[in-house]
Amino acid sequence: MAWSTALTAVSAAFLASLVEVVEAFTIVLAVATLRGWRTAAIGTTVGLTALAGVVLLLGPLVARVPIASLQLTIGVLLLLFGVGWLRKASLRAAGVIPLHDEEAIFAAETAQLGAQQQRVHGSLQWVAGITALKAVLLEGLEVVFIVIAVGAGRGLLLPASLGALAACAVVLGAGVVIHRPLSRVPENSLKFGVGVMLSAFGVFWTGEGLGIPWPGQDLALLLFAGLFLAAGFLGSSLARKLSLGFA
Amino acid sequence: MTMLKELAAELIGMFVAEMRLTISALAIVAMVAFLVDFIGVDPLLGGAVLLLGSLTLLVESVLRGARPRS
Repeated sequence: MAWSTALTAVSAAFLASLVEVVEAFTIVLAVATLRGWRTAAIGTTVGLTALAGVVLLLGPLVARVPIASLQLTIGVLLLLFGVGWLRKASLRAAGVIPLHDEEAIFAAETAQLGAQQQRVHGSLQWVAGITALKAVLLEGLEVVFIVIAVGAGRGLLLPASLGALAACAVVLGAGVVIHRPLSRVPENSLKFGVGVMLSAFGVFWTGEGLGIPWPGQDLALLLFAGLFLAAGFLGSSLARKLSLGFA
Repeated sequence: MTMLKELAAELIGMFVAEMRLTISALAIVAMVAFLVDFIGVDPLLGGAVLLLGSLTLLVESVLRGARPRS
Protein backbone atom coordinates (compact mmCIF):
# COMPACT_ATOMS: atom_id res chain seq x y z
CA MET A 1 0.00 0.00 0.00
CA ALA A 2 1.36 3.42 -0.95
CA TRP A 3 2.04 6.09 1.67
CA SER A 4 -0.27 8.43 -0.22
CA THR A 5 -3.26 6.15 0.50
CA ALA A 6 -2.40 5.67 4.17
CA LEU A 7 -1.68 9.36 4.70
CA THR A 8 -4.90 10.44 2.97
CA ALA A 9 -6.97 7.88 4.90
CA VAL A 10 -5.59 8.82 8.32
CA SER A 11 -5.73 12.57 7.58
CA ALA A 12 -9.33 12.30 6.36
CA ALA A 13 -10.35 10.41 9.52
CA PHE A 14 -8.49 12.89 11.76
CA LEU A 15 -9.80 16.07 10.13
CA ALA A 16 -13.39 14.83 9.71
CA SER A 17 -13.38 13.76 13.34
CA LEU A 18 -12.00 17.15 14.37
CA VAL A 19 -14.93 18.94 12.69
CA GLU A 20 -17.59 16.63 14.08
CA VAL A 21 -16.13 16.45 17.60
CA VAL A 22 -16.02 20.27 17.79
CA GLU A 23 -19.74 20.33 16.91
CA ALA A 24 -20.60 17.60 19.44
CA PHE A 25 -18.42 19.24 22.10
CA THR A 26 -20.45 22.48 21.89
CA ILE A 27 -23.62 20.61 22.90
CA VAL A 28 -21.84 18.48 25.52
CA LEU A 29 -20.44 21.70 27.00
CA ALA A 30 -23.93 23.22 27.15
CA VAL A 31 -25.12 20.11 29.02
CA ALA A 32 -22.13 20.25 31.37
CA THR A 33 -22.65 23.96 32.04
CA LEU A 34 -26.29 23.45 33.04
CA ARG A 35 -26.21 20.01 34.67
CA GLY A 36 -22.60 19.36 35.56
CA TRP A 37 -19.82 17.33 33.95
CA ARG A 38 -21.02 13.98 35.36
CA THR A 39 -24.23 13.96 33.29
CA ALA A 40 -22.38 15.18 30.21
CA ALA A 41 -19.64 12.57 30.68
CA ILE A 42 -22.15 9.71 31.06
CA GLY A 43 -24.04 10.72 27.89
CA THR A 44 -20.77 11.15 25.98
CA THR A 45 -19.33 7.84 27.16
CA VAL A 46 -22.47 5.91 26.20
CA GLY A 47 -22.48 7.61 22.78
CA LEU A 48 -18.78 6.90 22.15
CA THR A 49 -19.21 3.28 23.27
CA ALA A 50 -22.12 2.81 20.84
CA LEU A 51 -20.05 4.31 18.00
CA ALA A 52 -17.01 2.13 18.85
CA GLY A 53 -19.37 -0.89 18.84
CA VAL A 54 -20.54 0.01 15.32
CA VAL A 55 -16.91 0.25 14.09
CA LEU A 56 -15.95 -3.05 15.75
CA LEU A 57 -19.04 -4.78 14.36
CA LEU A 58 -19.09 -3.39 10.82
CA GLY A 59 -15.33 -3.07 10.23
CA PRO A 60 -14.54 -6.83 10.09
CA LEU A 61 -17.83 -7.56 8.25
CA VAL A 62 -17.03 -5.01 5.56
CA ALA A 63 -13.54 -6.48 5.17
CA ARG A 64 -15.13 -9.83 4.17
CA VAL A 65 -16.92 -8.37 1.16
CA PRO A 66 -15.12 -9.10 -2.17
CA ILE A 67 -12.70 -6.26 -2.86
CA ALA A 68 -14.18 -5.08 -6.21
CA SER A 69 -17.74 -4.90 -4.82
CA LEU A 70 -16.46 -3.22 -1.66
CA GLN A 71 -14.46 -0.61 -3.58
CA LEU A 72 -17.39 0.17 -5.87
CA THR A 73 -19.95 0.45 -3.05
CA ILE A 74 -17.73 2.43 -0.69
CA GLY A 75 -16.34 4.48 -3.58
CA VAL A 76 -19.82 5.61 -4.66
CA LEU A 77 -20.84 6.38 -1.06
CA LEU A 78 -17.61 8.33 -0.48
CA LEU A 79 -18.13 10.27 -3.71
CA LEU A 80 -21.69 11.23 -2.70
CA PHE A 81 -20.58 12.11 0.83
CA GLY A 82 -17.43 13.96 -0.26
CA VAL A 83 -19.01 16.14 -2.96
CA GLY A 84 -21.86 16.90 -0.55
CA TRP A 85 -19.39 18.25 2.04
CA LEU A 86 -17.38 20.06 -0.60
CA ARG A 87 -20.49 21.69 -2.07
CA LYS A 88 -21.62 22.96 1.33
CA ALA A 89 -18.11 24.15 2.28
CA SER A 90 -17.78 25.98 -1.08
CA LEU A 91 -21.13 27.71 -0.57
CA ARG A 92 -20.13 28.69 2.98
CA ALA A 93 -16.74 29.97 1.78
CA ALA A 94 -18.57 32.06 -0.85
CA GLY A 95 -20.81 33.55 1.83
CA VAL A 96 -23.94 32.08 0.23
CA ILE A 97 -24.85 30.10 3.36
CA PRO A 98 -23.76 31.14 6.86
CA LEU A 99 -20.76 29.61 8.58
CA HIS A 100 -21.30 27.18 11.47
CA ASP A 101 -21.38 29.38 14.58
CA GLU A 102 -20.43 27.38 17.68
CA GLU A 103 -21.13 30.31 20.06
CA ALA A 104 -24.68 30.70 18.69
CA ILE A 105 -25.31 26.94 18.84
CA PHE A 106 -24.03 26.85 22.43
CA ALA A 107 -26.36 29.71 23.41
CA ALA A 108 -29.35 28.11 21.66
CA GLU A 109 -28.70 24.69 23.23
CA THR A 110 -28.25 26.20 26.70
CA ALA A 111 -31.49 28.18 26.34
CA GLN A 112 -33.38 25.10 25.15
CA LEU A 113 -32.10 22.97 28.05
CA GLY A 114 -32.94 25.80 30.47
CA ALA A 115 -36.51 25.97 29.14
CA GLN A 116 -36.87 22.20 29.48
CA GLN A 117 -35.57 22.44 33.05
CA GLN A 118 -38.39 24.86 33.92
CA ARG A 119 -41.00 22.65 32.28
CA VAL A 120 -39.99 19.45 34.10
CA HIS A 121 -39.32 21.23 37.40
CA GLY A 122 -35.67 20.47 37.90
CA SER A 123 -35.68 16.79 36.93
CA LEU A 124 -33.55 17.42 33.88
CA GLN A 125 -30.68 15.03 34.55
CA TRP A 126 -31.78 12.38 32.09
CA VAL A 127 -32.87 14.87 29.41
CA ALA A 128 -29.43 16.49 29.57
CA GLY A 129 -27.71 13.09 29.45
CA ILE A 130 -29.77 12.07 26.40
CA THR A 131 -28.96 15.41 24.73
CA ALA A 132 -25.22 14.76 25.13
CA LEU A 133 -25.65 11.16 23.97
CA LYS A 134 -27.61 12.25 20.89
CA ALA A 135 -25.06 14.90 19.97
CA VAL A 136 -22.22 12.38 20.14
CA LEU A 137 -24.19 9.75 18.18
CA LEU A 138 -25.39 12.09 15.43
CA GLU A 139 -22.06 13.85 14.90
CA GLY A 140 -20.09 10.61 15.36
CA LEU A 141 -22.06 8.73 12.72
CA GLU A 142 -20.27 10.57 9.93
CA VAL A 143 -16.90 9.89 11.55
CA VAL A 144 -17.73 6.18 11.83
CA PHE A 145 -18.65 6.05 8.15
CA ILE A 146 -15.42 7.79 7.14
CA VAL A 147 -13.28 5.55 9.37
CA ILE A 148 -14.88 2.38 7.99
CA ALA A 149 -14.94 3.64 4.39
CA VAL A 150 -11.33 4.79 4.19
CA GLY A 151 -10.01 2.10 6.51
CA ALA A 152 -11.71 -1.21 5.84
CA GLY A 153 -10.88 -1.69 2.15
CA ARG A 154 -7.12 -1.39 2.61
CA GLY A 155 -6.54 -2.79 6.10
CA LEU A 156 -6.35 0.75 7.50
CA LEU A 157 -9.17 0.42 10.01
CA LEU A 158 -6.88 0.71 13.03
CA PRO A 159 -4.84 3.72 11.78
CA ALA A 160 -8.04 5.49 10.66
CA SER A 161 -9.66 4.80 14.06
CA LEU A 162 -6.56 6.11 15.81
CA GLY A 163 -6.69 9.23 13.64
CA ALA A 164 -10.31 9.81 14.71
CA LEU A 165 -9.50 9.12 18.37
CA ALA A 166 -6.56 11.54 18.22
CA ALA A 167 -8.95 14.26 17.04
CA CYS A 168 -11.28 13.46 19.99
CA ALA A 169 -8.34 13.79 22.38
CA VAL A 170 -7.23 17.12 20.82
CA VAL A 171 -10.74 18.64 21.02
CA LEU A 172 -11.49 17.34 24.52
CA GLY A 173 -8.07 18.52 25.75
CA ALA A 174 -8.57 21.99 24.28
CA GLY A 175 -12.17 22.12 25.52
CA VAL A 176 -11.26 21.18 29.07
CA VAL A 177 -8.54 23.87 29.14
CA ILE A 178 -10.52 26.77 27.66
CA HIS A 179 -13.97 25.67 28.85
CA ARG A 180 -15.76 27.46 26.00
CA PRO A 181 -17.15 26.44 22.60
CA LEU A 182 -14.25 25.99 20.18
CA SER A 183 -15.45 28.73 17.86
CA ARG A 184 -11.98 29.57 16.54
CA VAL A 185 -11.48 26.18 14.91
CA PRO A 186 -11.60 26.84 11.13
CA GLU A 187 -14.42 24.34 10.67
CA ASN A 188 -15.26 25.29 7.12
CA SER A 189 -11.65 25.05 5.92
CA LEU A 190 -11.38 21.63 7.56
CA LYS A 191 -14.67 20.55 6.00
CA PHE A 192 -13.42 21.79 2.62
CA GLY A 193 -10.24 19.74 3.01
CA VAL A 194 -12.07 16.60 4.11
CA GLY A 195 -14.57 16.99 1.26
CA VAL A 196 -11.63 17.17 -1.18
CA MET A 197 -10.01 14.02 0.23
CA LEU A 198 -13.23 12.00 0.37
CA SER A 199 -14.25 13.01 -3.16
CA ALA A 200 -10.80 11.97 -4.41
CA PHE A 201 -11.08 8.65 -2.59
CA GLY A 202 -14.61 8.24 -3.97
CA VAL A 203 -13.58 8.65 -7.62
CA PHE A 204 -10.46 6.51 -7.11
CA TRP A 205 -12.27 3.58 -5.51
CA THR A 206 -15.33 3.77 -7.75
CA GLY A 207 -12.95 3.57 -10.71
CA GLU A 208 -11.03 0.65 -9.22
CA GLY A 209 -14.31 -1.13 -8.51
CA LEU A 210 -15.26 -0.68 -12.17
CA GLY A 211 -11.89 -2.10 -13.27
CA ILE A 212 -10.26 1.20 -14.27
CA PRO A 213 -6.44 0.94 -14.01
CA TRP A 214 -5.57 4.47 -12.81
CA PRO A 215 -2.20 5.66 -14.17
CA GLY A 216 0.31 6.02 -11.33
CA GLN A 217 -1.93 3.78 -9.17
CA ASP A 218 -2.29 5.23 -5.63
CA LEU A 219 -0.47 8.42 -6.61
CA ALA A 220 -3.46 9.27 -8.79
CA LEU A 221 -5.25 10.07 -5.50
CA LEU A 222 -3.07 13.16 -5.08
CA LEU A 223 -3.91 14.36 -8.58
CA PHE A 224 -7.62 13.81 -7.94
CA ALA A 225 -7.40 15.68 -4.63
CA GLY A 226 -5.68 18.60 -6.39
CA LEU A 227 -8.40 18.69 -9.06
CA PHE A 228 -11.25 18.59 -6.51
CA LEU A 229 -9.52 21.35 -4.53
CA ALA A 230 -9.31 23.48 -7.68
CA ALA A 231 -12.95 22.72 -8.57
CA GLY A 232 -14.06 23.64 -5.04
CA PHE A 233 -12.18 26.97 -5.21
CA LEU A 234 -13.52 27.66 -8.70
CA GLY A 235 -17.09 26.89 -7.64
CA SER A 236 -16.75 29.03 -4.52
CA SER A 237 -15.25 31.96 -6.41
CA LEU A 238 -17.92 31.84 -9.15
CA ALA A 239 -20.67 31.42 -6.54
CA ARG A 240 -19.46 34.54 -4.70
CA LYS A 241 -19.56 36.58 -7.92
CA LEU A 242 -22.96 35.14 -8.81
CA SER A 243 -24.48 35.89 -5.40
CA LEU A 244 -23.02 39.42 -5.42
CA GLY A 245 -24.53 39.92 -8.87
CA PHE A 246 -27.94 39.05 -7.51
CA ALA A 247 -27.51 41.13 -4.34
CA MET B 1 -37.99 6.30 18.61
CA THR B 2 -37.37 10.00 17.96
CA MET B 3 -33.63 9.42 18.27
CA LEU B 4 -33.80 6.49 15.82
CA LYS B 5 -35.66 8.70 13.35
CA GLU B 6 -33.05 11.41 13.74
CA LEU B 7 -30.25 8.86 13.25
CA ALA B 8 -31.95 7.55 10.10
CA ALA B 9 -32.38 11.12 8.80
CA GLU B 10 -28.73 11.87 9.53
CA LEU B 11 -27.66 8.69 7.74
CA ILE B 12 -29.68 9.54 4.62
CA GLY B 13 -28.59 13.18 4.75
CA MET B 14 -24.95 12.07 4.69
CA PHE B 15 -25.32 10.78 1.12
CA VAL B 16 -28.12 12.98 -0.17
CA ALA B 17 -26.82 16.48 0.49
CA GLU B 18 -28.75 17.64 -2.54
CA MET B 19 -31.04 15.34 -4.50
CA ARG B 20 -30.06 16.53 -7.99
CA LEU B 21 -26.33 16.22 -7.20
CA THR B 22 -26.84 12.71 -5.80
CA ILE B 23 -28.90 11.50 -8.77
CA SER B 24 -26.47 13.03 -11.28
CA ALA B 25 -23.44 11.45 -9.56
CA LEU B 26 -25.15 8.04 -9.55
CA ALA B 27 -26.05 8.50 -13.23
CA ILE B 28 -22.41 9.20 -14.11
CA VAL B 29 -21.23 6.07 -12.27
CA ALA B 30 -23.94 3.99 -14.02
CA MET B 31 -22.97 5.48 -17.40
CA VAL B 32 -19.26 4.71 -16.88
CA ALA B 33 -20.10 1.16 -15.79
CA PHE B 34 -22.23 0.73 -18.93
CA LEU B 35 -19.54 2.18 -21.21
CA VAL B 36 -16.73 0.07 -19.76
CA ASP B 37 -18.54 -3.21 -19.10
CA PHE B 38 -21.09 -3.39 -21.92
CA ILE B 39 -19.84 -1.20 -24.77
CA GLY B 40 -16.19 -2.09 -24.22
CA VAL B 41 -14.90 1.47 -24.11
CA ASP B 42 -11.26 1.84 -22.99
CA PRO B 43 -11.39 1.81 -19.14
CA LEU B 44 -9.10 4.86 -19.00
CA LEU B 45 -11.61 6.81 -21.06
CA GLY B 46 -14.29 5.65 -18.63
CA GLY B 47 -12.09 6.88 -15.76
CA ALA B 48 -11.73 10.28 -17.43
CA VAL B 49 -15.52 10.53 -17.81
CA LEU B 50 -15.97 9.62 -14.13
CA LEU B 51 -13.40 12.16 -12.92
CA LEU B 52 -14.34 15.06 -15.19
CA GLY B 53 -18.05 14.36 -14.75
CA SER B 54 -17.73 14.48 -10.95
CA LEU B 55 -15.73 17.72 -11.06
CA THR B 56 -18.25 19.34 -13.42
CA LEU B 57 -21.18 18.21 -11.26
CA LEU B 58 -19.56 19.75 -8.20
CA VAL B 59 -19.04 23.16 -9.80
CA GLU B 60 -22.53 23.13 -11.37
CA SER B 61 -24.14 22.20 -8.04
CA VAL B 62 -22.29 24.99 -6.17
CA LEU B 63 -23.38 27.52 -8.80
CA ARG B 64 -26.98 26.30 -8.65
CA GLY B 65 -26.86 26.67 -4.86
CA ALA B 66 -25.71 30.29 -5.24
CA ARG B 67 -28.59 31.27 -7.53
CA PRO B 68 -31.59 32.74 -5.73
CA ARG B 69 -34.64 30.50 -5.83
CA SER B 70 -37.54 31.88 -7.86
